Amino acid sequence: MQRRQFLVASAATLLVPHLVGAEAEAADGPVRMRDLYNKDLTFSDYAKEREGERIAVEGFMAPPLKAESTFFVLTKRPMAVCPFCETEAQWPDDILAVYTSRTIDTVPFNVKIVTSGKLELGTYEDPELGFVSRVRLAGAVYERS
Amino acid sequence: MKKLLLASVAALVATAAAAQDSLPQANSPWFTDAQAKINEIMARQPNTKRAKNVILLVADGNGVTTNYATRLFMGQQEGGMGDDYVLPYEAFPHLALAKTYNINAQTPDSAPTAGAMNTGVKQLFNTINLSENGVFEDCASVEGNQLKTFAEIVSESDKSVGIISTARITHATPAAVYAKTAARDWEDAVPEGCTTQKDIASQLVDQMKAGVIDLAMGGGRGMFVGADTTLAEQEGTKGKRADGKNLIDEATEAGAQYAWNTETFSGLDLASDKPVLALFEGSHMKYEADRTDADEPSLADMTKAAIEYLSKNENGYYLEIEAGRVDHANHDGNAYRVVTDGVAFAKAVAMADELTNDEDTLIIVTADHEHAIALNGYCGRGSPILGLCYDVNTKTAGGNYKHAAEPNMAADGKPYTVIGYLNGAGSVLKEQEDKTFSGSRDDVSNEEAMDKEYLQQALIPMTSETHAGTDVAIYAKGPWSHLFDGTVEQNYIFHVMNKAVHAEDAAASTGGAMEATPAAAGTAN
Repeated sequence: MQRRQFLVASAATLLVPHLVGAEAEAADGPVRMRDLYNKDLTFSDYAKEREGERIAVEGFMAPPLKAESTFFVLTKRPMAVCPFCETEAQWPDDILAVYTSRTIDTVPFNVKIVTSGKLELGTYEDPELGFVSRVRLAGAVYERS
Repeated sequence: MKKLLLASVAALVATAAAAQDSLPQANSPWFTDAQAKINEIMARQPNTKRAKNVILLVADGNGVTTNYATRLFMGQQEGGMGDDYVLPYEAFPHLALAKTYNINAQTPDSAPTAGAMNTGVKQLFNTINLSENGVFEDCASVEGNQLKTFAEIVSESDKSVGIISTARITHATPAAVYAKTAARDWEDAVPEGCTTQKDIASQLVDQMKAGVIDLAMGGGRGMFVGADTTLAEQEGTKGKRADGKNLIDEATEAGAQYAWNTETFSGLDLASDKPVLALFEGSHMKYEADRTDADEPSLADMTKAAIEYLSKNENGYYLEIEAGRVDHANHDGNAYRVVTDGVAFAKAVAMADELTNDEDTLIIVTADHEHAIALNGYCGRGSPILGLCYDVNTKTAGGNYKHAAEPNMAADGKPYTVIGYLNGAGSVLKEQEDKTFSGSRDDVSNEEAMDKEYLQQALIPMTSETHAGTDVAIYAKGPWSHLFDGTVEQNYIFHVMNKAVHAEDAAASTGGAMEATPAAAGTAN
């Protein structure tokens, strides 16, 4: 078994603790958010190849909408403004929606984190939050970089 | 006796010249270049013709330190060490420093600073084009305190007026061309019960209908559309307006042409007299580092189109062009996007200069304020402006003046970047779980520091880096540009523009101290 397949299989079966090492979660080292997008905001080959797989992505946690949530927005640079406090028109195009395994503990907006989760592509509107995302990490865990 | 004095002066001059020729440094390029500069400046003649056109280019947040960073970046991008690079506007003949404070703020805000340039008086923090008797966020205080703008003044002389910004067209700097508001944030709505003024987007459309504003290009589509509306065909932009109005439709129904992306921008009829409204994003336009030509035009592209459109008016025009996101990138503490948007601004200046004639067009290049950006030392020449501060190379025999191989180290044993910020999101002090702030500097590599997303290290933790009160430069060329000299108040800019467009043409006057500019005197584009 290739190491990558082994790790993915392990991650899928583990009851993951809230914070775990990124190296145990994803096949490759953490990628940057820009590795998922082309400049015209189409998905990169990297993203298309790994759709459905667990990947690790570097970024920053935007201030969450509410406490006791399993959702946050990963931004490529520190973004102090809560995306939900602005209209959708003012969200950056290249964000990553993250659905976590467990209720999140907020990390300050300017502390780099590595988030691992299953990569999902395609437009999705959260039925509860109304948040529309184009790319997501599901079943995600994160840690300070 | 007089003869004797003259003879003595002549002898002294000759002696001085001879002494210079014999100086050991006389053949150094530094020496001869400086001598040539003296000759160039002595040959200058003031242009006292009436200005037909005025172009005011503002790079938001581009104080002298920020501008230095862009100079080095552009120079290094073109293969040099950067320090000696000359940005297009740095070759302009006239220069002053502007003091940027607001009436009630040592550290200025972009709304009153742009208002000062457009009305000739300093204004109150976060307000636009109200007198000192207006009160921030007090709608009632608007009545009777509205100032007259340069756009309104020149439109009475049948000049055309254009505005371009890479920020929302309702944002502070572009709004100062056409709006009067007790709060800069009232871009899409005013508080309930406020009847003395409209929101800023409505004021733009009103000024277009009134014939004051002929062209407006920028971001901010959402400010013009109702909150219950989604512009599915225009990148799915959701409107923001609580009143539900569609001001884009209002403008087009009143005769305006409209564009929202590169394709529709290319389709604008610039030969037509129909007003132009172009809104390229829901909010701000993209940073230059993130923009594609296929999606939206560059600042230089918009500048070219605007000048082509406005130049049809034989009475001339006033055009304000803002690079709005140099400021935003500084607020983010992300020097990469500061300098890449700075380069886009420099290219827009070059475009404006190329398309106009110094004989009849006053071009002013300035900033509204500086930021809490600073430069570390002691860096050797050629240290990458976005990267690490490398040691000065002292082994210069053979003419190698480029920095040493090793970066300078701080007392903590770690290298540091050339650029730093005094405050902002890049603070090395991070919030801990107990809510206190502490931390240490990252051991950053040059490659990491040069990355597009890197935030330079900052000291004081803040969610957004701040402006600073430092002076900004004013570079100028064209009619009456020689009036920019010394250290001036920022509102002085209006007075030179106003003087230039109203001056009696020297050729038609009875004469005076100023002579009309010889056609060939230092006026090359």
